[in-house]
Amino acid sequence: MSAHVTELLALAAAGALGPGEARRVEEHVRECAACAAEAAEWRRLAEGLGRMPPPRPSRALVARTLEAVEERLAEQSERAWNRAALGFAVAFAWTMAVVSWLLLDLLTGALALRLDRPVGPTAAWYAAYVIAGWLTAGVAAALLGRRTPEEGRIA
Amino acid sequence: MDPDRDDAARLRRGDTAGLAGLMGRHQDRLFRYLLRLAGDEAVAEDLFQQTWLQAAERIGRYDRSRPFAPWLFAVARNLALDHLRRRRPESLDEQPEPEAPATPDADPFARAVARQQGARLADAVAGLAPLDREVLSLRFEEDLALAELAERLAVPLPTAKARLYRALARLRERLLARAPAGEWR
Repeated sequence: MSAHVTELLALAAAGALGPGEARRVEEHVRECAACAAEAAEWRRLAEGLGRMPPPRPSRALVARTLEAVEERLAEQSERAWNRAALGFAVAFAWTMAVVSWLLLDLLTGALALRLDRPVGPTAAWYAAYVIAGWLTAGVAAALLGRRTPEEGRIA
Repeated sequence: MDPDRDDAARLRRGDTAGLAGLMGRHQDRLFRYLLRLAGDEAVAEDLFQQTWLQAAERIGRYDRSRPFAPWLFAVARNLALDHLRRRRPESLDEQPEPEAPATPDADPFARAVARQQGARLADAVAGLAPLDREVLSLRFEEDLALAELAERLAVPLPTAKARLYRALARLRERLLARAPAGEWR
């Protein structure tokens, strides 16, 4: 009789052996009553595991989950819209600032002169003022943007 | 056409009807898996909700060329393991202390129900370590082959085999210790 295959009996019942090992178990069990009895026990256990009472989520849980996901998706969509609107507003404001600057220069006849000579102190101050304003607004927007997800996490 | 992929695409567009379809097909299996892994109904319910929330939020990361269920179960598994690690910092391989056997004056109805083999087995499984419960559920309830099991657990094949063997051996030991002689069979 071949050597006992005790270690393999549980995995054989679980259908987790390779073909070679499965054959070895089969051959041994045919001639060893003790291993055959143990193999039958493991098989019953494996069958029992497949027949355990299946738990199901309650209808209330499923409804609650659907509702929570719908709310979360709506929030996500609103945040995406807000981000797009903010981006558009920033781009529009920048465009307006640059265009108004050019228009002002054009209307006052300063554009032609400006193109012919280096940037003067007034224009440099104006540019610095605009840039400082937009940097402040940018920092404020970034801080606000950081705060919103934090609030979302707490909720 | 795979309905899961269609519904995932709808969900990606923000259409919650896609979510309803996905939930309808996977809710029972997912809940069973989470309950076996967490070993507690209230925790399983919380994880069930978190899994769907995270799946809906991250649906953009789901690769539509692959089946949906393993992706969903991976989301659930990560959430459940994070939760279990926070709750019990010791290894998830370790079995909790065995519970005291029911006293003879316990509720007769509960005793009668517990006598049923399936319920008793489920009870014994619930007393195992989380990773043991998980491997047994995936093999015997999800009916995954060993290779699929290894993939789902993200471990090599021999490790999956060893985990399965260990879980079965621990379960048998537990049943023998708890039940009157020969009754677990």
